[in-house]
Amino acid sequence: MRRQLRSRRAPAFPYGYRYRLDDQDEVNQNYLADEEEEAEEEARVMVVHDLEEEEEEEEKEEEEKEEEEGQGQPTSNALWQKLQTVNEYLWDPEKRMSLARTGQSWSLILVIYFFFYASLAAVITLCMYTLFLTISPYMPTFTERVKPPGVMIRPFAHSLNFNFNVSEPDTWQHYVISLNGFLQGYNDSLQEEMNVDCPPGQYFIQDGNEDEDKKACQFKRSFLKNCSGLEDPTFGYSTGQPCILLKMNRRGDENDIRSINYYPESASFDLRYYPYYGKLTHVNYTSPLVAMHFTDVVKNQAVPVQCQLKGKGIINDVINDRFVGRVIFTLNIET
Amino acid sequence: MAQKTPEIYSVELSGTEDVGKTDTGDGKEKYRGLKDKRLELKKNHQKEELKKEVDLEDHKLSIKELERKYGTNIVTGLSSTQAAELLARNGPNALTPPKETPEIVKFLKQMVGGFSILLWIGAILCWIAYGIQYFNDKSSSLDSVYLGCVLALVVILTGIFAYYQEAKSTNIMASFSKMIPQQALVIRDSEKKTVPAEQLVVGDIVEIKGGDKIPADIRLLSTQGCKVDNSSLTGESEPQSRSCEFTHDNPLETKNIGFYSTTCLEGTATGMVINTGDRTIIGQIASLASGVGHEKTPIAIEIEHFVHIVAGVAVSIGILFFIIAVSMKYYVLDSIIFLIGIIVANVPEGLLATVTVTLSLTAKRMAKKNCLVKNLEAVETLGSTSIICSDKTGTLTQNRMTVAHLWFDNQIFVADTSEDHSNQVFDQSSGTWASLSKIITLCNRAEFRPGQESVPIMKKVVVGDASETALLKFSEVILGDVMEIRKRNRKVAEIPFNSTNKFQLSIHETDDPSDKRFLMVMKGAPERVLEKCSTIMVNGQEQPLDDSTAEAFHTAYMELGGLGERVLGFCHLYLPADKFPETYSFDVDTVNFPTSNLCFVGLLSMIDPPRSTVPDAVTKCRSAGIKVIMVTGDHPITAKAIAKSVGIISANSETVEDIAKRLNIPVEQVSKRDAKAAVVTGMELKDMSPEQLDELLTDYSEIVFARTSPQQKLIIVEGCQRQDAVVAVTGDGVNDSPALKKADIGIAMGIAGSDAAKNAADMVLLDDNFASIVTGVEEGRLIFDNLKKTIAYTLTKNIAELCPFLIYIIAGLPLPIGTITILFIDLGTDIIPSIALAYEKAESDIMNRKPRHKKKDRLVNAPLAIYSYLHIGLMQALGAFVVYFTVYAQEGFRPSALINLRVEWEKDSVNDLEDSYGQEWTQYQRKYLEWTGYTAFFVGIMIQQIADLIIRKTRRNSIFQQGLFRNKVIWVGIASQIIIALILSYGLGSVSALNFTMLRPQYWFVAVPHAILIWVYDEVRKLFIRLYPGSWWDKNMYY
Repeated sequence: MRRQLRSRRAPAFPYGYRYRLDDQDEVNQNYLADEEEEAEEEARVMVVHDLEEEEEEEEKEEEEKEEEEGQGQPTSNALWQKLQTVNEYLWDPEKRMSLARTGQSWSLILVIYFFFYASLAAVITLCMYTLFLTISPYMPTFTERVKPPGVMIRPFAHSLNFNFNVSEPDTWQHYVISLNGFLQGYNDSLQEEMNVDCPPGQYFIQDGNEDEDKKACQFKRSFLKNCSGLEDPTFGYSTGQPCILLKMNRRGDENDIRSINYYPESASFDLRYYPYYGKLTHVNYTSPLVAMHFTDVVKNQAVPVQCQLKGKGIINDVINDRFVGRVIFTLNIET
Repeated sequence: MAQKTPEIYSVELSGTEDVGKTDTGDGKEKYRGLKDKRLELKKNHQKEELKKEVDLEDHKLSIKELERKYGTNIVTGLSSTQAAELLARNGPNALTPPKETPEIVKFLKQMVGGFSILLWIGAILCWIAYGIQYFNDKSSSLDSVYLGCVLALVVILTGIFAYYQEAKSTNIMASFSKMIPQQALVIRDSEKKTVPAEQLVVGDIVEIKGGDKIPADIRLLSTQGCKVDNSSLTGESEPQSRSCEFTHDNPLETKNIGFYSTTCLEGTATGMVINTGDRTIIGQIASLASGVGHEKTPIAIEIEHFVHIVAGVAVSIGILFFIIAVSMKYYVLDSIIFLIGIIVANVPEGLLATVTVTLSLTAKRMAKKNCLVKNLEAVETLGSTSIICSDKTGTLTQNRMTVAHLWFDNQIFVADTSEDHSNQVFDQSSGTWASLSKIITLCNRAEFRPGQESVPIMKKVVVGDASETALLKFSEVILGDVMEIRKRNRKVAEIPFNSTNKFQLSIHETDDPSDKRFLMVMKGAPERVLEKCSTIMVNGQEQPLDDSTAEAFHTAYMELGGLGERVLGFCHLYLPADKFPETYSFDVDTVNFPTSNLCFVGLLSMIDPPRSTVPDAVTKCRSAGIKVIMVTGDHPITAKAIAKSVGIISANSETVEDIAKRLNIPVEQVSKRDAKAAVVTGMELKDMSPEQLDELLTDYSEIVFARTSPQQKLIIVEGCQRQDAVVAVTGDGVNDSPALKKADIGIAMGIAGSDAAKNAADMVLLDDNFASIVTGVEEGRLIFDNLKKTIAYTLTKNIAELCPFLIYIIAGLPLPIGTITILFIDLGTDIIPSIALAYEKAESDIMNRKPRHKKKDRLVNAPLAIYSYLHIGLMQALGAFVVYFTVYAQEGFRPSALINLRVEWEKDSVNDLEDSYGQEWTQYQRKYLEWTGYTAFFVGIMIQQIADLIIRKTRRNSIFQQGLFRNKVIWVGIASQIIIALILSYGLGSVSALNFTMLRPQYWFVAVPHAILIWVYDEVRKLFIRLYPGSWWDKNMYY
């Protein structure tokens, strides 16, 4: 980059290496066997030579400075000189150069890089545009990665361990708030207004164009009965009989747990909530829920609970993924 | 006559006086340097011991004094117990091998050199990060521990690899230096015993005979025609005679000392061991050599420079983004992990190993061409060499006397001095030649050693001195079976050469049965021979020797002497049959036959001729911009003659002395500017200041240094190095070894070279062929160019590996490529292609350009780094991101959804993360998608690296000029890239620890248009460079 400062002969050679050889000619002047160069030229080359050496030194010094930082400087005078050369390298008022380039050179570089990067930006824009042309806005091209649906529970607060003390509302109040918030979308009034009541026990197939809006099936909060929070605003947490909602990602029975009530009583995700037609067209889709009401759980100890989905096309035994077709959480209710 | 030709050192046949005379003048000074160095060494307290030996007085002592000094007896020798005691006290009589760095230190050096430190820091940061994580949460994942281990493993493996490569090339040498243990014949307990030379001690009385290596420094006690070859010590190719007389103050010049490791050529001698092992003169030179520090090789400096650049970029970007990350409210722990990622992405882990392999491939290629490289890095050094300081004897010359010119019939004829003598073209029809050839054949005591019938004449071993050997071989080649001719011309009497007569004479019966006369033949110093002649043979006819023919003789003699050749005169006389009947009894003591009024027949001159390949090699070096300087211990006249004949001094250039002679003016009046060549003797050099030497080295393009000491060779090399030149030194003798060590690259001769020279050298020419150096230069230059390509290729993808981390930190995308995946590129797919670039042919005639300037033509220069990082590297990153976005978009996450998704994406507890289509993803499903993204990004880089590999084949020419298919190894590299990637994706896609998944086939092609774009862009770049040489574009875009 710095080389451009050097005066050189007019590049009259059309092709090939002659120029390059010439270039080295200058550089290696001193060692050459044949010294047929004219004296004048020699002198000019020498000046260039010196200049370059200076720059080289400056560069090196800068490097050294970086390295030496923190190690302490030998003398303040040397440091000052170094700083000065670095400073001169950064901005040389005499030659009006910064980083050994003139303003003209810098602007040329900026222009060229501007155009280069602008074209690169154009290329990537074109690529992304082509990409968007090839993918459908309604459904992803490939879905088999999420085909085995994951299962999640609500309330969910960063952890799958439910630790609370019945007698201390502070320990379970956030579960209640979380559930309430989550169930806002399931309010009966909202569901009735937005969604349709569709026949249970079968897929709610909606044919028609891809881009047509699809209807969503009603899932009313009241389906959750005791766990709807309508009758018991604490979702059973105040009595140590917590409700936990089971949610299948869009698209159960242990000894310590002596009694669970499921709402809806079928304890299943009805087919009528499927298939899911995607965010764009299937507006206001609400995932079906299953509420588990742990009415009698051993207290004062951690009780692990695993809920598995069962059904055709459901996988629940992926070793690495503990949330595909199942969910494991622990209940630790203190009284 | 002798006064008239003071410059002719080589008229000496085998006498004793002249050598002494000619050496007296400068002999003392010649070795002064050596002594100085010893004094210097004294200052190095470790070398204190050497100082004691400075005053070697043993040659001045009488035998009695010697016996007293060493407590020995010259008849009975030492007793075994005495010898054992001395051996225990002084150590074995062997040179201490140069101190070897312990293997473990070498190994550890590999472990911390180059990028290793950065990777160690990365690994340690990983472990620290895990430690903190573990401290906060006992169940935290072990990922960072694994990563740390992988990084450590990478360092250790590459370290072991580099160590192994290094060790392999060292082993070649180890086998080389193993010698057959030398034996010595020693008198101990009044008995002659053969003991290993290692067990000799001072005071031992040893016997040596022709062909033996002298086992220690010995003071000679008795000699019979003993001659030694001191060429490895002094560089003189002529044998030196030895006697028991003290002839010179300087121990190196006196005749009564024989030096360790020199060879006794003929005769026998008995001597007393006065110095053993490291205390011998050779031992001192060897320790002088080991005292010389070895400079870093140019390529090592270049690689260091490159490591600094890359490490600087890595560390500064790492720290910059660490600060950015911290100020963006990332956890410090996460920021540390980012830092590791950035370091790993920036460091080309495989590159140094690749460079090693590349160098060793070239080293192998050179070994096939008889250049054995001891130090891998020396492979490139030869390519950047700008000055070659060559020894004369044995390197430029064949190190054997050969007949070069003949003078008879008033004419000088040139004899073929090539290695096989096959082409003797001079006129052999003249009757004079018939007579001359007979004298050459008969007046010669040298004989072929029997049992060599199948050996070519020039290779046969001869018993006899160098001149006689030359004459014997010369006549054998031209006349056929010399021994048979001698048999037919039975020898009846002989006066062997002696230094007072300076001639050799023999009397033979003739092979013509009808001719009953005896033929007396004589050869010797020309002026002496001429004195004895009254007639001269011209065209087969005897003519009286008048002034004009004598003048012609002198002219020829001066001319041949001026060529640095050793001249011999030949004459004969047919003894009249009446005075010397067949039964005449010749008595050589009383000389009952005439030795004057002979018939002068001709002159023959001999020289140690240059190797036939040398002139061509010197020309090639010249055109490659390499200055060839001759540095020899031999006489200036001989040196200059050889320099002229090999082209070190070109035909039309003159020295100051030549000009003075031509213009007939004093030397002082000649303008130094007019002379291109200079012959400088050690004497002159001694008086020069370093500045004057610098001036000399820059002012003259053709320089010959003669009569130089080992120390002066060192000074010359240092002088050249002050000019920023990369200096190669070639040599074979012990006297060359300090210079060989000091040079940027020392080149020793494999056959003629002494072990000291081979040990000090970086490279050994197995066939002693100077022309191999040219091959070496070519290979060295090619490897430099190709390393540039390799580095450019390797650096490019670092940006494509780095960008993901930067985007990840700034824009919060799910991580596009994992650290482990990066390692699979750096140490997997990219390795073979980058080695393949080493097989690339040169783009132009690299032997027609000047050597690179070691401070200006860097391996990694700004254009290379900028073009790789900011042009191709960025294009690659974009291409790989397109593949990444395609995979994510087709799975459900559009690019817009990805921005700032990082936090949610990486939360283990979030198992229902919604994508752009409302689908919900469990943590593991996301993780798997992330790995698919890694694989996609990896494949994207790999595909574009294929294009990168192709464009790196050339730096200036179009790929189509270079030939896409000429370098087959490139295609092996491309195939390896694809196969490794396929194996990683489809073979190991199920191994979750490796973070690869089975990528859908169509994703392999997403980056192909980008690869093509890279190729097109680079072709355009090269086109503009070719179209507009010297333009802004050329200066900034040519790397």
